[in-house]
Amino acid sequence: MPARAGATVLALPPSVIADRPVATLEDLDRTLEPDAVWVLGPEREPQAFARARSTFAAPAFHPPLETAGNGPLSRQVIDGGVGGETASLEVAVTPGLQSLQAAPESVSRTLAVDTDLAALVCDDVTTTTRPTALETDLEGTATVADAFPTGEVTTLLTGSQPAGYDALWHLEPDTGAVRDVDHETIGGVGPLAADCVSVRVRGAGPAEGYGNGRSIASLQVTPGGVTSVDTHDVTDYGLEAVTGIGPKTADRLADRGVTTRAELLETPVETLADLPNVSRERARRMRQHATVLEVGEPRRLTDESLPGADWHEPPLCLDIETDGLSPTIIWQIGVYDPASDSYQTFVERGDPSDPGPVLEAFCDWLLGMHPNRALLTWNGWRFDYRHLGAFIAKHVPYYTEEWESIPKFDLYLWAVTEEHALLPGRTNELEVVADALGYEGAGTGLDGARTAAAYQRFMRTGAELEWERHEAYCEDDCRALWHVYERLRDAPRADDVSPANGAPADDDTEQTGLGDF
Amino acid sequence: MSDHRPNAQDVPITGDELVETYPGLPDDVTVLERPGRPAETVPSEDVLRADLAKPLEHDLYTHQADALEALADGENVCVATSTSSGKTRIYALQIARNYLEARARGIESTAYLLYPTKALSRDQERSLNDLFDELGLEITVRVYDGDTERGRNRKRIREEADVVITNFAGVNTYLHDHDRWARFLSACDLVVIDESHTYTGVHGMHVAWIVRRLKRVLDYYDASPQYVLTSATVGNPGEHSSALIDESVTVVDEDGSPTGPRDLVLWNPPPRDRDGSHDGRDEWTEADHDEDTDGDDALERVPATVEAPRVLSHLTYHDAQTLLFTPSRKLAELSIKRASEHRHDNRRYYTHPDRGSALEPYHAGHSRAKRHGTEHRLKTGILDGVASTNALELGIDVGEMDATVQLGYPGQRQSFWQQIGRAGRGTKRALSVLVADHRTLDQYVVSNPDYLLENDVEDAVVDVDNDAVFAKHLRCAADELAVDESDVGTVAERERLERAVEMWRRAGQLQGALETGVSYTGPPRPQQSISLYATTGEEYDVRLADDVEDEYDPEMEPLAKERVLRDFHEGAVRLHQGQQYEVTSVDHGGPRPTVTLRPTDVDYYTRTRTDVTVLDAVSEQSREIGEFTLHFGRGQVLVYHGTYDKVAVHGGTKREQGIPTDNPPLSMETQLCWLEVPQRVERALIEKYRDVSIPGLEDEFADTAHLGYAGGLHAAEHATIGVAPLELMVDKRDLGGLATLSIDSHLEQPAHSESAAGPDVSAGDDAPKNIAAAEATIREIASGLERDPTSGWFIYDGIDGGLGFARAIYENFETVAERARELIADCDCGNTGGCPACVMDEQCGNDNQPLHRGAAVDVLDHVLENEDESALAAHLPDEDHGGDRRPPLFYA
Repeated sequence: MPARAGATVLALPPSVIADRPVATLEDLDRTLEPDAVWVLGPEREPQAFARARSTFAAPAFHPPLETAGNGPLSRQVIDGGVGGETASLEVAVTPGLQSLQAAPESVSRTLAVDTDLAALVCDDVTTTTRPTALETDLEGTATVADAFPTGEVTTLLTGSQPAGYDALWHLEPDTGAVRDVDHETIGGVGPLAADCVSVRVRGAGPAEGYGNGRSIASLQVTPGGVTSVDTHDVTDYGLEAVTGIGPKTADRLADRGVTTRAELLETPVETLADLPNVSRERARRMRQHATVLEVGEPRRLTDESLPGADWHEPPLCLDIETDGLSPTIIWQIGVYDPASDSYQTFVERGDPSDPGPVLEAFCDWLLGMHPNRALLTWNGWRFDYRHLGAFIAKHVPYYTEEWESIPKFDLYLWAVTEEHALLPGRTNELEVVADALGYEGAGTGLDGARTAAAYQRFMRTGAELEWERHEAYCEDDCRALWHVYERLRDAPRADDVSPANGAPADDDTEQTGLGDF
Repeated sequence: MSDHRPNAQDVPITGDELVETYPGLPDDVTVLERPGRPAETVPSEDVLRADLAKPLEHDLYTHQADALEALADGENVCVATSTSSGKTRIYALQIARNYLEARARGIESTAYLLYPTKALSRDQERSLNDLFDELGLEITVRVYDGDTERGRNRKRIREEADVVITNFAGVNTYLHDHDRWARFLSACDLVVIDESHTYTGVHGMHVAWIVRRLKRVLDYYDASPQYVLTSATVGNPGEHSSALIDESVTVVDEDGSPTGPRDLVLWNPPPRDRDGSHDGRDEWTEADHDEDTDGDDALERVPATVEAPRVLSHLTYHDAQTLLFTPSRKLAELSIKRASEHRHDNRRYYTHPDRGSALEPYHAGHSRAKRHGTEHRLKTGILDGVASTNALELGIDVGEMDATVQLGYPGQRQSFWQQIGRAGRGTKRALSVLVADHRTLDQYVVSNPDYLLENDVEDAVVDVDNDAVFAKHLRCAADELAVDESDVGTVAERERLERAVEMWRRAGQLQGALETGVSYTGPPRPQQSISLYATTGEEYDVRLADDVEDEYDPEMEPLAKERVLRDFHEGAVRLHQGQQYEVTSVDHGGPRPTVTLRPTDVDYYTRTRTDVTVLDAVSEQSREIGEFTLHFGRGQVLVYHGTYDKVAVHGGTKREQGIPTDNPPLSMETQLCWLEVPQRVERALIEKYRDVSIPGLEDEFADTAHLGYAGGLHAAEHATIGVAPLELMVDKRDLGGLATLSIDSHLEQPAHSESAAGPDVSAGDDAPKNIAAAEATIREIASGLERDPTSGWFIYDGIDGGLGFARAIYENFETVAERARELIADCDCGNTGGCPACVMDEQCGNDNQPLHRGAAVDVLDHVLENEDESALAAHLPDEDHGGDRRPPLFYA
């Protein structure tokens, strides 16, 4: 795990807990090492809570279940590692808005006295959109305004908003009427006015649109508040992390006593292939991937050489940064050249309203200095190549033809989509894969969304970015890409792997036989 | 078929001859002769470059020439001319022109063609390719839609085709990946919206937004294409086209194509007992019941479903190649069978029963190959007749017929003319027969033939004021390209755009500011959440129960939630395309809610009872009509389809009443139009009808002096909604109404909203959630009013956010009122309380009580200023005694 900024709180929807084998939860526990587990409300789900309590090492809490007393607020102490030292911090937990409403004075007293509370958890605070009125309301603003202090920012965590939701609502203390909402939280937040209740609402619930009952969140909490919220897919843990194992197959395996990847590796291919809808080929693939995940080494599935491997010079590793998912500018283009171990960057630090100069400088350099090189990206056909192509056509149209004729490779496409390799790492994000392959990152603490948000702020307010940090982030991605490339290039074929714990010999023979055709 | 026509001249049988020779007489028949019109042409060389003009066999019709010249001047064009007037040729020639000019400059020119149906797309792909071959041009025309094979094939079309044909559901989806279309979009010089009149109501609203999104993306690729819209004749082609594409449009509607004279026969079938030629066989009558039929009161005529196939059979016997239009697939099939039975049952008359008997059905349920076969046999004259759904109404090329027969009035003049336009070979005489059904509109049309012949047709209504729909498309727009300052004034005015962006930002779905660009950050592919047939996205798929064979699949468009709650509750029995279906389950949850049906065969149908209340209406516009005041505005409508009745198909008696639907009430923020009756008119009419009592009315207000007048308002409200489809392209089921003695109680009460709304609830939440509470609120407000409230009625759009229909009625109120008055006054039902053909409405929440035709006609006469002062004075009480306390009555 990367260095921690505070304590880790794992936010789990009750359905995720109820629907997964204990072994998956244990895998979550081992991997994410939470310091506390928050079983999301607002629905009362005592069974899911009990299951979490009996599985996770860290303390668990479930707001609707008033385990810590009957008051409107209870405290949850979290012991977490902060900067290498063990420290403890506290969050306040309320069963719901009704409890707050019942005793607003006592709540405000508590919040006023305990200034070191990191956040308040209230699971039924949610936004409601009314499209015919073009308005979005926040549920319970009057109650919140009544109970929360004025002139400062209180962080409110809710499982009813998706993880990633982060907005600062400024409310009239008397009525709860919304005065304003800040959406820009990068670079710190502050209260709107001394006579205003400012609530920073952060979501920890399932992210929409990524399948039902799969999305979970982990929060980094410090005494000052919540520093980050990350989402994970629960099917990246336990047996379901293995390619070819979905919830149904996982259930059937559990019926046969197989609940971990280690146990899977001890199960003969024949047994796996007896499961409904599992072919021999799929059974073999399951075991191969489980091996990769357990051992932490990549394996190639075919004899297909890596993209650009037969070129006399290696491809240039490319990464771009934009100002959002529908970009108006590509403001940073980074290129790492493995041949000379050098890095080149093109950044627009001056006039963000003109996307032309960065593109022009990049094209000048690429076409002028490296006319015969290919490019390499991670998932570039969905992002980097796609946007570069569109922007070059629009802003430096005279280079369009040359740009289109440059050979472009995508390592993600080759490894994942075309299934030429199996990767360790629970997700196929570049950072995760590189980390699993032992890449030592620069630890900038940034990701694509953060760096985009920072640039957006620069565009609007002129507030300078920490340029070196943001450039280091881009460079890191380019170098990580080459690291993954080299490791994949050197990886053996999956067929040659001896499964851990000694698989039956006939199985090995079988694999070799199939691989040799 | 052997061609018996002596010179392939005029239609072999005229309207008068049809009436004379037909075995058995229609009850009521009107033969109208419509004059023909010679072709007006312009030499092609006058308009087109020589290399295009030369290969063309014929000169251009004047409208084609006008349109091509307007296009040459850089204008957008809407061509609204008759069926088969060569509209396709206009844009095909423009494509060819653009192509040749671009080729000369060494660049590309592409065109995007948008058709309403996939079948039409493929038909047009063929004819365009043929035309370009004929012109010797290598222009590649390809269809790209849901049926296009995926993978390389699609990539090749995107990267190579000059002309891409698709539909709006496709455009909505493909905009997400516009960068893949960069070549095509950058070179786009022409966008064609074919059959543009079909885009009205909810569907039209979505299309208007998809066009706006497409225009943003085209603009991004520096393309600014011209637009060609082709439309059937509608009342407002220019206004409608401009609303769709948000640009000015030149209308070309002076039709230069030739038409022959036409005999137009309006045929009202005889009463059953006078139907001498046949006994009413059971197998015929069985499937013929229609929900609009009321067996007891109305004169029971032979249904059009029986009579029209007989007319078809008769015409083909007399060598007229005939197209019969039926309202459903099942009736298309059944009509062929009936036509043949008619022949054999009347052997004495039809001595050569096999003459002209090559008949086939045609509808979208048939395979593409089968349909093409039928089209071909029709075109080449092998077939004598076809019974078709409106699948043959839109542009598919089947050549020209001698005659058309319509099984029932198709509901709209626009559609009526489009269908009969299928008959007529050049300038030869043609014959068109409309066989009327029992329904209100059919009977109106046959007894008011002038209505059909008036020059105007219905207005097509498209509206972009619905904020819910706007907001959904805004998310898509931000996903496609960042929304920024350049969208102010084009996508929406600043205030509306900022409010919508802020709404989504607060909801966590958009990010960024207009100054620097707003991106979409919600769940992937917001385009998928666009339902082209619903406003709030809650659209229900209609499915067949698992164990039922596919042949029964009703193939219905998805239903908006509003419709599901009203007509598709569990246990509902619906007639669709001649087949009865029972709703077995409704799944409101899940990502895709569904309604499950199974075919059934029962002797009842179901009808929900609907309670309606209007709350917090706010007037945005108003105007005076004489002493009346008409308003347009917004408000909340609470609709509750709480119970339903089972009604016998024959006789209309209720088998079972008040069965709960288990549905929740529906609350809509929507657009309304309302009429306020002046006090003087009200007082006089209350007096005139103060002795009216309604026997059996179970109502606490049954004895009030206001009942007769209230019945008049109620009847006038039903009638204005009933006739709205005569003026607007509207489905009457998308409209609702409420007649009330106290309009004021339904308006927003400034004092009320301040005190009642708690600090913790938003404006939308403080409204009562059930009808009883809402009605209590209305009565409470009524009792607290300081001045005497005015009476009148509301008409609202029955879809959340509104559709623009209430606004259109506001703008055309006098015409609608005039039609409503005619409908009520001319109905020969003879009942004070009216009949289903005039003021009764099957959806009425008050069981069609009280209704008073006389009072309704009086109210409408005063609106239309048909009545002078003396008519009022006769009934006005001598002094303002103010004796009768006004009860808070309101009727949906």
